[in-house]
Amino acid sequence: MNHEIKEDGGAVIVALEGDVDLQSSPDARKVLLECVGRKMPVLVDLSGVGYIDSSGVASLVESLQSARKTGSNLILVAVSEGARRVLELARLDKVFTICDTVEDGIAQVRP
Amino acid sequence: MAKEKSSTKPESPAESSGHGGGGKSGGEVNVFDHLELLSAMGRDFASSLDIEASLKRAIEHITNYVNAEGGALFMLDDEGETLRCHASVGPVEIIGLTLEADQGIVGRCVQSNASEFIRDVSKDKAFHGGVDEETGFTTRSILCAPMSVKDERIGAIELINKRGGDGLFADSDLHLLEAMSASAAMAIINARMAEALVEQERLARELELAAEIQRSLLPEPGGEDYPVVGVNHPARTVSGDFYDFFPLDDGRICFNLGDVSGKGMNAALLMAKTASLYRCLGKTVRTPGRLMARVNTEICETATRGMFVTLAGGIYDPKTGIIRLANAGHEPPLFHRPDGEFQDFPAEAPPVGITPILADGDEFPEIELHLDGGTLYIFTDGVTEGYLEDGSELEVEGFKTLIRDNAAQDTATRLDAVISLIKRGDTALRDDLTLLAIDDAKGHAARQAGESPEPVSVDIEAAAVEEELLLSLTVPSRADRLKTIRNAVTEAAKLCGLGKDPAHDVVLAVDEACQNIIRHAYGGSPNGKIKLKICRTEGELIILLRDFAETIDVSKVKPRELDDVKPGGLGTHFIREVMDETYFLDPPVDGGNLLRMIKRL
Repeated sequence: MNHEIKEDGGAVIVALEGDVDLQSSPDARKVLLECVGRKMPVLVDLSGVGYIDSSGVASLVESLQSARKTGSNLILVAVSEGARRVLELARLDKVFTICDTVEDGIAQVRP
Repeated sequence: MAKEKSSTKPESPAESSGHGGGGKSGGEVNVFDHLELLSAMGRDFASSLDIEASLKRAIEHITNYVNAEGGALFMLDDEGETLRCHASVGPVEIIGLTLEADQGIVGRCVQSNASEFIRDVSKDKAFHGGVDEETGFTTRSILCAPMSVKDERIGAIELINKRGGDGLFADSDLHLLEAMSASAAMAIINARMAEALVEQERLARELELAAEIQRSLLPEPGGEDYPVVGVNHPARTVSGDFYDFFPLDDGRICFNLGDVSGKGMNAALLMAKTASLYRCLGKTVRTPGRLMARVNTEICETATRGMFVTLAGGIYDPKTGIIRLANAGHEPPLFHRPDGEFQDFPAEAPPVGITPILADGDEFPEIELHLDGGTLYIFTDGVTEGYLEDGSELEVEGFKTLIRDNAAQDTATRLDAVISLIKRGDTALRDDLTLLAIDDAKGHAARQAGESPEPVSVDIEAAAVEEELLLSLTVPSRADRLKTIRNAVTEAAKLCGLGKDPAHDVVLAVDEACQNIIRHAYGGSPNGKIKLKICRTEGELIILLRDFAETIDVSKVKPRELDDVKPGGLGTHFIREVMDETYFLDPPVDGGNLLRMIKRL
């Protein structure tokens, strides 16, 4: 799994790429929590995530909880089909705010 | 009513001289009239649904009849501390007026329980002049009769200022007032008793409804050959005891028996809560120690202070005859061993609902018990402390003797033998009686006869000989090999003609199952082996996953390691969600675990 972080429009945009599985989810978790720590809304771009498992989903949930605790927000953008399927199985598709594109996401989190 | 009466008797002297004048002239007719008035009021009291309205009518009649300027009825409050006016007639309306219980003429009348005949109130120090001062009314004479039944004081009725003549009340007026007071007192007592009775009946009905709901919380009998049997006889309508048993999807049976401190409704409510929590959580939390800890946490968070539950619960596996048991402060369960001896299991933890902090970390201690054809009995102290016919208690020794004597009978008959000794006919029970037995005799016999499935062959290929093999793969228990497995499963799913989404789902389920092996079976060690086999039969995709770790207690899986990523039960949830069937096969003879997952095509 690779990742790329940038800031745009007052938000942190983190793009994860590849498989977020048992092997890579500890890294994903670190990256996500680091982004949440920047005290800006976080957009997680999942367009490049072909596969995500329960540990990956858990990392997303933990980051969302962490963001909410600090009064910030974390939303998912451009969620790949595979990732969306897993979120649906976990009934988390209604828990996360999901936007189709990065631009929609930025508009969503803009104060 | 007095008016009606006089109109039907136009010749009555009372009619010609008005009600008031009738009292003093006219011998026999006078007596007859008194009786008429009293009996009319008596009928009114008897038929009235509104006692206050009847009292008001009675005061009106007697005031008119005696020709007084005013009349009032006072009643003592429940505490007997104040007198309150409930009905009044005359120029001054004093309903609601309250006096100290011994204040005024009326107070003295009530306290002494004797009539007052005051010709000139100005000469009586007890007279309470408050109302006169406020209203300008002048009270001259008072006639006051107490209302009481036996020793119970209810209040008094007073009449004020006789009209006409010399302005003085006559003895006959007092007699009439006394008779009416007595009848009013009776009516009030009757009304109060009727009210109490209605309330009592309402409570009894509610209690009966509560008992019905409680009975519905107990499990249905499991049938003749079912290894778990329970009985519950409440001492009162509702019970503070409970027992429950229900099958888990792997064939094991979860059971419990508890006793809530106290009796009556509060105990019954806590019983309902504990039993419901246990049943609900027991379907997912598969070890009694952990289950009891979860129930304990919930009860501690919300329980009423001072109430607690002693609880023994466990899981019985008919395939092995093994019980895992946890005991939270409950009477020691008794194991009747196959050799005829008894063994007890005293509690090693406090009752549920006392403290959320447990000595042994976050679980209640468990014991493992091999029944080997024996029977485990769990009971409440209502059984061992139950009175026998001679007044002595059954006690544990008596219980053991009974069980021994009836050893040849079936389980239900043995329990009945105990119950019938304590619950004799209509004798009131000292405490709720509750008993549960887990009898391994049939399970043991079945195991001996080899009815249980043969141990699974070492070679998992052999387990699926009739099936078309799609994939067979052995990989080390390492997270970085999961991708290899996913790719292989993806290919196998494609071979079966699965669409994109179902194929993805199957890959996810296999991946999660492999993760469980890596995390839990091997505890994160990369040196284990995972053997995966995928087969196809008509209409089914069958996935077998084998590891070679120590046989794990499936229910003890704790998804909480590996770099703090905490998926909780999410992985298992995915597997259940995606697969049509998932179950562990019996442990292979050379150890390890074998999981079989089926996806219908």
